[in-house]
Amino acid sequence: MSTTTGVGAPIRRKEDDRLLRGRGRFVGDVALPGMRELAFVRSPVAHARIRAIEVPPDHAGAVFTGADLAGDGVRAIRAASGLPGFKVSEQPALAIDKVRFVGEPVAVCVADTRAEAEDIAAAVFVDYDELPVNVDMLEAVKPGAPRVHEHWPDNVILETRTGGDLSAVAATAAVRVSRTIRTARQCMVPLEGKGVVAHRDRQAEQLVLTTSTQIPHIVRAGLAECLGLDQGAIRIVPPDIGGGFGWKGLLQPEEVVAAWLALRLDTPVRWTEDRREHLVAAANAREHHYEITAYADARGRLLGIEADALVDAGAYSVYPFTACLEAAQIGSILPGPYDFPHYRCRTVSVATNKPPLVPFRGVARTGVCFAMEQMIDAVAAAVGREALEVRLENLVRPEQMPFDNVTGKHFDSGDYPESVRRAAAAIGVEGVRERRARGEPDGRLVGVGFATYCEQAAHGTAVYHGWGIPMVPGHEQAHARITPDGGLELRVGVQSHGQSMETTFAQVAHEVLGIPVDRIKLVHGDTALTPYSTGTWGSRSMVMAGGAVATACRRLAERVRRIGGHLLQVPAGDTTLADGCVRAGAASVTVREVAHTWYRAPQRLPADVDPGGLEVTAGYKPGSDHGTFSYATHAAVVAVDPELGSVEILDYVVVEDAGTMVNPMVVDGQIYGGVAQGIGTALYERMPYDAEGQPLASTFMDYLIPGFTEVPHVRILHMHTPSPYTEFGVKGIGEGGAIAPPAALCNAINDALAPRGATVTDAPMTPEVILEALRRAGGPA
Amino acid sequence: MNQHARTISLTVNGHAVTAAVAPRTHLADFLREQRLLTGTHLGCEHGVCGACTILIDGEPARSCITYAVACDGRSVTTVEGLDADPLAAELRDAFSAEHGLQCGFCTPGMLVAARDVVQRLPDADDAAVRVAMSGNLCRCTGYVGIVNAIRRVLDARKPRPE
Amino acid sequence: MKAADFDYAAPRTLDDALALLARDDGAARPVAGSQSLGPMLNLRLAQPGLLVDITRIPELRDIAVDGDALVVGACVTHARLEDGGYPDPTGGVPARVAAGIAYRAVRNRGTIGGSLAHADPAADWVAALTALGADVIVAGPHGRRSVAMADFIVGAFETDLRPGEIIAAVRIPALSERARWGYVKVCRKTGEFSHATGAVLADPGRGVARCVVAAASGRPVVLDDPRLLADAAARDAAVAARLGGDPAAIRPHLVALRRAVAQVTP
Repeated sequence: MSTTTGVGAPIRRKEDDRLLRGRGRFVGDVALPGMRELAFVRSPVAHARIRAIEVPPDHAGAVFTGADLAGDGVRAIRAASGLPGFKVSEQPALAIDKVRFVGEPVAVCVADTRAEAEDIAAAVFVDYDELPVNVDMLEAVKPGAPRVHEHWPDNVILETRTGGDLSAVAATAAVRVSRTIRTARQCMVPLEGKGVVAHRDRQAEQLVLTTSTQIPHIVRAGLAECLGLDQGAIRIVPPDIGGGFGWKGLLQPEEVVAAWLALRLDTPVRWTEDRREHLVAAANAREHHYEITAYADARGRLLGIEADALVDAGAYSVYPFTACLEAAQIGSILPGPYDFPHYRCRTVSVATNKPPLVPFRGVARTGVCFAMEQMIDAVAAAVGREALEVRLENLVRPEQMPFDNVTGKHFDSGDYPESVRRAAAAIGVEGVRERRARGEPDGRLVGVGFATYCEQAAHGTAVYHGWGIPMVPGHEQAHARITPDGGLELRVGVQSHGQSMETTFAQVAHEVLGIPVDRIKLVHGDTALTPYSTGTWGSRSMVMAGGAVATACRRLAERVRRIGGHLLQVPAGDTTLADGCVRAGAASVTVREVAHTWYRAPQRLPADVDPGGLEVTAGYKPGSDHGTFSYATHAAVVAVDPELGSVEILDYVVVEDAGTMVNPMVVDGQIYGGVAQGIGTALYERMPYDAEGQPLASTFMDYLIPGFTEVPHVRILHMHTPSPYTEFGVKGIGEGGAIAPPAALCNAINDALAPRGATVTDAPMTPEVILEALRRAGGPA
Repeated sequence: MNQHARTISLTVNGHAVTAAVAPRTHLADFLREQRLLTGTHLGCEHGVCGACTILIDGEPARSCITYAVACDGRSVTTVEGLDADPLAAELRDAFSAEHGLQCGFCTPGMLVAARDVVQRLPDADDAAVRVAMSGNLCRCTGYVGIVNAIRRVLDARKPRPE
Repeated sequence: MKAADFDYAAPRTLDDALALLARDDGAARPVAGSQSLGPMLNLRLAQPGLLVDITRIPELRDIAVDGDALVVGACVTHARLEDGGYPDPTGGVPARVAAGIAYRAVRNRGTIGGSLAHADPAADWVAALTALGADVIVAGPHGRRSVAMADFIVGAFETDLRPGEIIAAVRIPALSERARWGYVKVCRKTGEFSHATGAVLADPGRGVARCVVAAASGRPVVLDDPRLLADAAARDAAVAARLGGDPAAIRPHLVALRRAVAQVTP
C-alpha cells in the first residue's frame, strides 16, 4: 500500500513495550486506597432450593446475599431475545431462593485480603434442599424432566425452524447419509480471568468500574438496568485485558455485585476470578448436538441438508447475547460455504443446570463447521470419491459472487474452491496418500483432512435484528483529533483484549493522514472518553471501528487540506496530503503547522474555516449490512496411535482470505491463536459433568488446554480478495482460526481410521473417544 | 496483621527488602500486593500455567506455589528486574519482531522461562524449545511467534563461523 | 484461591524438624519445595496448622555415593538431579527421569522427597524408584528406618510414613554396566501427570528383571520375573490380574509397559 507503516504493513506493535516490561495495567494490578477484596460463596450443587444462609456472628456485616441486593432494589439480569416464543430467565446477581448450576454466586464476602474473604466464604453455611438435575440436554427436553425454571412449562428456551420440506429430495436422492455429532462443553480460558474494581468517584459523582470487559458500553447499559441508575452515573474503564475470546463479552453477575457493594459500602472493592472459579463456574461454551442428514446425487453433489440441532444453553440467558444466539446462528449458517438447493433446520436452545452458554470465538460456527464438514466427507465416502473432490464440487464458485445462499446469506467475494486447491497442494495430499500406503514403522495410522468455512463477521444491523439479539449494532463511530503539536488521538468504543488495535487503528489513520504511527494514540473502551459501541466481538472491530477511524480521518484530511491550502495560498482542491504534509506543487506545510495554526494562531485561518476544527466524530457502516465473509480452508495431517488413541498433528495448513490485511503479522497471529484454541476444542477441552451436575475438572491439571508441544507450527497461506463493501476491502478474521480445526482434524482422524472401519463424530476426540470408535469397529490394534 | 506473620529479609530485583508476611501469602501475592510489582501475573495459582514464573536465586520458579516466607534470604527477580538485562532485552526485541505476544498476560512468565531456555539450552532446535517452554501456557498466540522469537535469539547468539 | 491460614517454621536441623512435627497434634506437615503441596494448599484441599519447611536442613540436600548406592537427600530438587554433575553409579537414570517431571520451573523447586511423600500414583519417582529397587530412608522420633520402595507406597497418596516421620533420603542401588532402563509415560500433554507408566529395569549383572506399572489407581504393580520380559502375553496377563477391572482402563498400562520393555530389549 502507500507507506511502510500504513495499511498492509506488518509493523511491530505499539502495545508491546509496556507488556514486555511487565508494565501493563491489568485489572488485578489496580489498587485503590481503602480497597477491599471480594470472594463469592458459590453453590456446590447444581439445582437446589436455598433453605437458609447462615453467617457466623463473627462475620456479620461482611457477608451479603441476594436478599440484600433485592432490598436495595437491584434487579435481576434479564436478557430477552426478540424472537417469538423465547422464554426469558431472571438471573439475580446473587441467587435468591434457588440455585441452578454449580458455581452460581450465592453470597459475597468482603475483607481486606482475598485470603481473608475466602476464609469468611468458607465459614458461611448454606442449607440446600437439592432438586433433580438436568445435565444432558437430550434428557432435559423430554416430558417430565425437572424444570430449571419452574414457572416455565418445559426447558425449551426457544425452538426455531428454518427452511422447508425435504421429503421430495429424500425420496429421490441417490445418496443419503446421517450422523449424530456432538461438541463438548468447554471453558474459554483467557489466561487472565475476569475481574472488576468498583468505586465511587465523588468528584464525577459516578460509579466507576475498572473491569476486564470486551463490551464496556454494553456493560454500562446492563448495570444501569440492574442498579436502576442513569447510564450517565456510571463509567466503565477497561484496563489492559488478558484475553477474552467471548468470556469478557457479557455483563457478569459479579460486576453487578461489585458495583452495588462499592456504592453500599462506599469503598472500593475488587474481585478477580481465579482459575478454579473460571473452570467450575464458567464452563459455558460450544455444547452442540446435531442429528444431521445429507442428500446427494451419485457424484456427491449436495441436494439438501436436514438437521436438528440442540444447544445446551445452561441455566440463564446472558446479557446481551441471550441464550439463543448460538442456536439462532446455527439455523442460518449451517449450510456454510456450500451451494445446495434444499434445507431444513430445527434448532432448540435447552435450559440445563450448567453455567449459562456464552458465545466463544467462532460462536456457533465451530460446531456448525464440525457438523457440515463431517457430512461432506461422509458423502464423499458414500459415493466413493476423494473428500477433496466432493468439497470442490459443492463449494460456491467465484463466478457466482456475490452469492446469496439457501438461507439468504450474502457472500461478498472470494474463490472458495481455490482455497481448497491451494491447501491440498500445500499439505501434499499425494505425499500423504503414498505415506499411508507404505505404513508407519511405529504402527501409527496417518490421515489427511480438510475443512472449509466462511466466517461471516462484523454482522450488520439486519443480521442481529434477525437473530433477535436485543443489542443490535448500527453505525460504529470514531473520534479523531489532531493534537496541537500535530499528533493524533483516536477514540473508539470497541475494546482491545489482545487484538493489537493500538497499532492497527494507528495504521489506518496513518494511511489516511500520513501522521507517523508512533504519534498516534488510541483511547479505547472508556465510556467517559469514547463513542458508544457495542464492543469487540464477532470479528467486527477492524471492519467497523477501523472503518470509522478511516472515515473520521478522511474528514480531518479535508479540513487539514483546507487550512493547509489557505496557508499555501492555493485552493484546497489543489493540495495533496501525504507523509504528514499538505503540498501544492513545490510548496508544502506540515500537519504540525496546520495544527499550530488552528489551535495557537487562529488569526491565520481562512475566514470560512470549518468551526469543527481538527476534531471529528464520524460514523461508519459497510456498504452491505450482511457483514463481511472471509473464508479459509484448513488442512491437517495426523498420526493416530491405534493402541493409545492419541493423535499427533504432523502438519497443519491454513489458506485464508482475509481480504485486505491492515497488519499481516497481526492477522497471522490471530489465525495461529485461533487454530490453537480450535485444537483445544478438537482434541483436549471438555468439561465433564457427573450425573449430579458436578463439573469434574477444576484445575489445569484436569482441564487441558494446548501447550507448546500440542500445537504444531501452523503454516498460513493468504489469498487476497478485498471486500467490495468495506474500507480498504478489509474483512473480519478474528475468530476464523478457531472455527475449522475440529472439523479438519476430525476428517483427518477419520481418514486415518478408515482402514480400520472406525469413525469418530464427537469433539473432543480424546484417546477414549478414538479407542471406543476402534472398539466398535472391531477392536483396537 | 496475620497472627502467624513472620519478618523476612530478601533481595527483590537487586534491592534488600525486609517485610512482614503471612506464611500463607504466596510469593506472587507478596510481590504484587506488598511490593506493587504487578508484572508478575497469576493465571492459575496451582503451578501449571507459568504466568507467575519469576527467578529465585537465578532459577525460574512458580511464584504462586512458592510461599514468600520460604524465600527468606533469597534473591528474587521479576520481569521488572530484567529491564536492564541484556538477554531479556534481546528477547523483548525478538518477541516484538515475531509477534510473540497478543494480550501480554502470559508474557512476563514467558520471558523468564525463555531466558532460562536460551541460557541453558543454547543448541536447542524448535522441538526442544517447545518441550522446554511447555510449562508456560499462552491462549492468544498459538505459540508460533514465541518459538520464532526464541529461535531468533538462539541463532543470533550462536558463534559465527570464521 | 488462597491457602487457608497456617503457621510456618524452618528448622535448621533434622532434630528440630522432628521435634516440631512430633509436638503437634497431627496438624503439622513437612514441606520441601511445595510444588505438590502448594496447589493443594491454594485449593484448600490441605489445611495444615503448621508447615515445617525442611529445605534449610543441610543434610537433606546432599547427594552422595554410599557403598553400592546413590543416596539422594529428600530435599534434592529434580533440576539438580536432571543437571547431573554428581557421581552417579546408576548410569544417569535419575537424571533422565528427573528431566521428564513437569516443567523446569517446577523441577527447580520440587524435591524427590516431597514427590514421594505426596505419593501421587502418577508421579515419576513413585514409578521409577520402585523399578530401580530403591529404599526410602525415613527419619522419625524413634530414629531411622529403611523401607523398600515397593513397601513404601501403600496406595494412592498413601505411604508407609507414620506420624512425625519424614523422608530423609532415597537410596538407589548402583546398576551394573549391562543394565538397561526402559521408561514410558502415557501423557496427553508434555509435563502432564502420567495416565499410565511402564518402567523396566533389566540388569542381568545383578540378576534384576523388574517390570513396574504405575499411574493406575493404587500402588505400583511390581513384577520381578525375568520371563516376563520376553513373554508379552504372560506379562499382559500378570498386569491385568494385578490391576483388575475394565480392560479398556488397563490397556494404556499394558501398552506403556510393552513399549518400556521394547526399550530394554536389544
